[in-house]
Amino acid sequence: MSEYVIDIDSLTKIYQTGKTDFKALNTVTLKIRKGDFVAIMGPSGSGKSTLMNIIGCLDRPTSGTVIIDGENISIVSDNELAEIRGRKIGFIFQKFNLIPTMTALKNIALPMVFLGGTTADRDRRAAELLGKVGLTNWATHRPSELSGGQQQRIAIARALSNNPSIILADEPTGNLDTKTGEQIMGLLVALNKEGKTILLVTHAIALKRFANRVINMLDGEVSEKS
Amino acid sequence: MIKDIFVMGLEAMKSYKIRTFLTLIGVIIGVASVIMVTTAGGSVSSFIADQWNVFNPTGMVIGTGTGGATPQLSIRSVVFTTNDVEKIQNLPSVKTVAPLGVVPLNKILKRDGFLKWESRPGEIMYASTPALLEILNLNLEEGTMFEEGKNEVVISKNVAEVFGKDKPLHVGDTIYLRRVDSKTLEAKVVGILKESSTANMFNALSTPGIICPTKPYYSSYFGSNVGTILKRVVGYTVLLAEATDTKHVQDAQDQILKYLDSGGSDANQYKDQNSDFVVITQQYILVRIEQVLSVIRTYITAIALISLLIGAIGIANIMFATVTERTREIGTMMAIGAKRRDILQLFLYQSTIIGLLGGLFGCMIGASGSWFVVDLLNKNIQNLGGALSTGTIQLTYAPEWFLIASVVGILIGVAAGVLPARKAAKMDPVVALRYE
Repeated sequence: MSEYVIDIDSLTKIYQTGKTDFKALNTVTLKIRKGDFVAIMGPSGSGKSTLMNIIGCLDRPTSGTVIIDGENISIVSDNELAEIRGRKIGFIFQKFNLIPTMTALKNIALPMVFLGGTTADRDRRAAELLGKVGLTNWATHRPSELSGGQQQRIAIARALSNNPSIILADEPTGNLDTKTGEQIMGLLVALNKEGKTILLVTHAIALKRFANRVINMLDGEVSEKS
Repeated sequence: MIKDIFVMGLEAMKSYKIRTFLTLIGVIIGVASVIMVTTAGGSVSSFIADQWNVFNPTGMVIGTGTGGATPQLSIRSVVFTTNDVEKIQNLPSVKTVAPLGVVPLNKILKRDGFLKWESRPGEIMYASTPALLEILNLNLEEGTMFEEGKNEVVISKNVAEVFGKDKPLHVGDTIYLRRVDSKTLEAKVVGILKESSTANMFNALSTPGIICPTKPYYSSYFGSNVGTILKRVVGYTVLLAEATDTKHVQDAQDQILKYLDSGGSDANQYKDQNSDFVVITQQYILVRIEQVLSVIRTYITAIALISLLIGAIGIANIMFATVTERTREIGTMMAIGAKRRDILQLFLYQSTIIGLLGGLFGCMIGASGSWFVVDLLNKNIQNLGGALSTGTIQLTYAPEWFLIASVVGILIGVAAGVLPARKAAKMDPVVALRYE
């Protein structure tokens, strides 16, 4: 296996919008080492969301190769892609995206459901992660009963449940006040110290300081000045 | 994992309580109405079939009319003679035959003291032979059957009380019958009929008020021209007969028709050239009634099935709404590792649970509702009065419809859920995640 946890070579993504083609990513080559904390920055429409979706195995490249933790995602089936997503990637969204009908504990356990195992094992692991994000007493609460910061911490716990190698955080502080945002960033930094590779997509320049590597995107191309 | 997804579906339904409840009601009403309609229909069918149970199962009526596949009786011409009755009686598959003559009465009179008379408006009197009792399935409560040639009659309970419930006629009493030709005949009451236990709409026919022997009451009245031949013979419009057993009903019918159509029968000479001899058996009546009833049942069941269909549309509708509303959740689930199959199952389970519960509760409500409907129908029958006011509809459940309705309920749940669930499973996670 290569030293890169994310190995992207000449990635192009073209969207067909009506009659005209839109090139969202233009021959992007990007290699990210295990344990990196990478901030991907750029204005909206620069292609950072598209890059994020492809790294997150939600979308496939039009051309080029993308290898995520040793898996070439261009050549796998839909089911395998879902499996890779579940095992190797933890998503953190701007709007938390918790399932409103489930308790905090069940939300954390949900990614494990899709990979099998017993309910007891999953609940034990979920409770452990709940402790890790400091919300042990909130296990039976539903998302609507939690603050934004608490919801995002539940989302982080959920992202960790299958012990993925990569955490994808898409504007994780976008819906939070500055103080709570700092706390969430603190959690991500701690995770990075434990060895997780973290990709932070944001256009908040203030968050640059948490990353050890900053990638700027503009018009579907990447540039780096670190 | 299937269990976990099932539980997830259940939890989601619990969170949308009102929506689930209303959808469920749609299915419940559909299933319940199928059961209610089929049960009520079946119960009414057997009630109506009972109403047409005029004779013994081996019984039949012989007359003239239009023959063919759907014979019609027209009780008009007087064609059958005493000779015919005897010949038919001797046919191998015929057990008994009885002529039926009608003697309209003006008055029924009773001597009250020495010169005082009590009089009541008359009824229709049937002149026949003692065999009539057996063919019409009648029994005597007290007394005996009359003897041919004697001035004796058998009367019904109603007629026994014609002079007042407090002073009923008894066996041995003498009454006077004034015929429409003003001739008054003396008659001794020798028997009183038991009220029929199986009441039907033909009680007026099958439990006649007064039965008398043809001699002297009928022969002396109708013994005039028959057909075009001036000859004093006793003639009847209809004969009632009974086959030796249920297996020989068809044989008896064939033998009777063969005899009547042959040159040897008197009836063949006297009948109108344009009419046929007709034999209508109890079995034929029941078959015809069943045909009519089955058309009605099919029609009503079709209507009930429409309500099931509406229930199905209700499920599909609500599942589509739910899928659309939960688009972002679906995207999230896909992002955290849900396969398309998992999403499909999640929504399919929900609609299946609705179908299953709807089928179950629908059966329960259908069962009690059927009872209610039949009870209501019975009350209405009592209000109708007259010829139909006899008997009650018995509640008869059709177990196969419980099975059909609940299986259809589940199938509808699955079928109605397939399209919305597929829609959910086919979503592009990128698009779904962006959904507001």
